[in-house]
Amino acid sequence: MSAEKACALVKELHRNQGTLPPYNNDLVNEVTKEITQLIQENRNDAQESERSRGSDLLEGVSYISTIRVRHAAIQRNLRCLLAYHYNRVRSLRTMRWEFGSILPADIKANLSTAETNWFSKYSSILAKYMRSVGEDGGVNLAVDLHPPKALYIEVQCLVDYGRYELSDGSVLLLKKNSRHFLPRVECEELIRQGVFQHIVI
Amino acid sequence: MNPDEVEFLAEKQLISIIPTFNSNVIHLISGDVGPFRASLPVRVPLWMAINLKQQRKCKIQPPDWMNIEQLEELKEEEKRSKTFVKMPSEHYMIEAKLLLNYATDDISRADEIRTIIKDIWDIRMSKIRSSVDTLVRNAGFYATVDHLTLMEINTMRPLLPHALDQVYRMKKAQSTRLPTQSTTLSLLNSSHRGSSLSS
Amino acid sequence: MSLQSYTPNYFSIDDILASQERCPCKFIVDIPKLGRLNPSAESNDLKAGTTLELPMWLAEHLSAGRHPIIAVELPRIYKEAYREILKADACAVDLHKLGLYFYEHGLYVKQFDARGDVSKILLETFQVRFRQLMDLANNIGSDPAVQDRLDSLERKLFKEGHAARTRLNTWLTDSGTPIEAAAMVINHKKRKRVDVEDII
Repeated sequence: MSAEKACALVKELHRNQGTLPPYNNDLVNEVTKEITQLIQENRNDAQESERSRGSDLLEGVSYISTIRVRHAAIQRNLRCLLAYHYNRVRSLRTMRWEFGSILPADIKANLSTAETNWFSKYSSILAKYMRSVGEDGGVNLAVDLHPPKALYIEVQCLVDYGRYELSDGSVLLLKKNSRHFLPRVECEELIRQGVFQHIVI
Repeated sequence: MNPDEVEFLAEKQLISIIPTFNSNVIHLISGDVGPFRASLPVRVPLWMAINLKQQRKCKIQPPDWMNIEQLEELKEEEKRSKTFVKMPSEHYMIEAKLLLNYATDDISRADEIRTIIKDIWDIRMSKIRSSVDTLVRNAGFYATVDHLTLMEINTMRPLLPHALDQVYRMKKAQSTRLPTQSTTLSLLNSSHRGSSLSS
Repeated sequence: MSLQSYTPNYFSIDDILASQERCPCKFIVDIPKLGRLNPSAESNDLKAGTTLELPMWLAEHLSAGRHPIIAVELPRIYKEAYREILKADACAVDLHKLGLYFYEHGLYVKQFDARGDVSKILLETFQVRFRQLMDLANNIGSDPAVQDRLDSLERKLFKEGHAARTRLNTWLTDSGTPIEAAAMVINHKKRKRVDVEDII
C-alpha cells in the first residue's frame, strides 16, 4: 500500500551507483502484482459505490477516499517501476561507451533478457552509425576524448591480456607489467577499459 | 570544461620562434605556417612551438610580458585593486605553464617568473572565491567577469553554475506559494500561478 | 562530469527518495477498508482524526484538490524552533542528521506552509553554507568532518566541485594529463577486488 517494495527497487539502484546490481525479478513481479491488485480493488469499490448511489439508500458507503489513496499508491508504484528500468538502461548505455561492446561476465550475468537484447541492439546501432560517419570507413567516437598532445604515448599493461593486433596487422603480446610505446589511437580504448595505464613522464 | 581542453584552446595562440631548420610553408586547416628559415624569427601556434622545441628544432622567444619587472608591477597592482586587473595575455597561465615546462632554457630567471605568476594566480583565485560567495549570498543575477581569463572562469565550473541553479529553484519556490488546504485559496493560487507563467 | 545540475524529474532516483520522506498528517474523513495504513490500530476502517506519518508523495496527493482527505503538518525540522537554530548559525548545523534530503524535502513541505517561512529558511541556509561547501570542495582550510554534515543536494555539489578541483590541481602540477580508465571500469575493478577479499 505505501509502495515500500517499489521504493526498495529504487533504493537498490541508489546504493549501487556507478555499477549495475542483479536485475531483481522477484521484487519487480511483486510490485507488478501489487499494482494489479490495487487496480482490481479500486474497480470493485468503484462499482459498489456506483451501485449504492443508484439505489434509494442514502446510507450507501462512499469509497471515494479509499480509491484516492489506492490510486496514489498505484501511481507511485508505477513511477518507481519505470524509474528502475529507465535508470538501469541508462547505466547500461554508459557501459557501452566505457567498457566497449563486450561487457565483463559478472556484469552480463546481472542483466535481464530484455536488457541483454537491448544492449546488443544498441551496440550494433552504434557501430553502424560510427561506420557511416565520414567517408573513410567511419569514425570511432569512443576515442580522442581529450585533446591529444603527442602521436605516441607510453603505456604499461595492467593485466595479462594476450595477443593484440594493431591496425597495421602486427601482433603484440600484452603481458602484465610490460611497457609499450604505441600510437595513441591504438591504445586509447584499452586505457579506457583498464587494460593499459597511461604513463606520463 | 577540463583544464586540458582550455589548454587546447590556448595553444592556438601565436608565438615567435627561431627555427634551426629550413622548410617551406606548411598548410594547416587553421592556416598557413612558415616558411621556416634557420635563425629567422617566425610566428607559429603555441602547440607547434612546443612540439618543435621538444624535437630541439627551435628556440622559443618568450612573450614580452614574461619578465620580472613587468610581472612584479602587475602583482602589486593586483594586490592593490579590488577588481581584477587586465592580464597581458588571455591565456597567461597556460602560456607560462607550457613555456616554463618545455622551454626553461629560453627564459631568463625562469624560477622567479614561475613564482610571481603563481602569486598572481593565487591572489586572483582568492578574489574569485570571495566574489563568488558574495554572489551566492545575495542571490545575484549576474556577475561582472571583466579581465578574468578563461582558465580562471573555468575554475568555478561546474560548482558555481550548479549552485546558482539551486538558488534559482529555491527562489522560485518562494514566489509560487502553493495552495494550502482551503479550496478558495487553492483556486486563487492556481490563477496566480497561471498568470506568472504567461508573464 | 555531469553537465546538468540537479533538477527533479519523473525518473529521478533522488526525487523519488526525497518524496519518500515522511510528514505528520491528520485524516479529516473516514477511509473505509484502509485501517491497515495505521499499524497501531486493528480496525478495518481508518477513522477521521487519526494522525499518521505519511510519505510526501501520498501526503501531497491526499491533501490536494477541492476535497482534501488529510491536513498536513510541518515536520519537526522545518518548525520554528529548528528554523531559529538555522538562522543563528546555519554552518554549524549537521544537515545530514536533520534529514538526508533537507532541501528537497523542504521544497515539498513548503506548500503546507502558508507563511512562506520554510522556503525562506531553505534559501538562506543554502546561501550561508555555500562558502563552506566551496572551501571544502577546494580543499582549503576547512575541516574534512564538515563533509559528513552535508545534505544530499550539497553532497552532490561537493562531489562535482571536488572532482573539478582535483583535475585543475593535476593540471597545475603535472606536465600532462594522462588518459584514464573510464569511471565505471574503475568502479568495476574495485568491486571485484572487494569480492575476492570476501571469499578469502
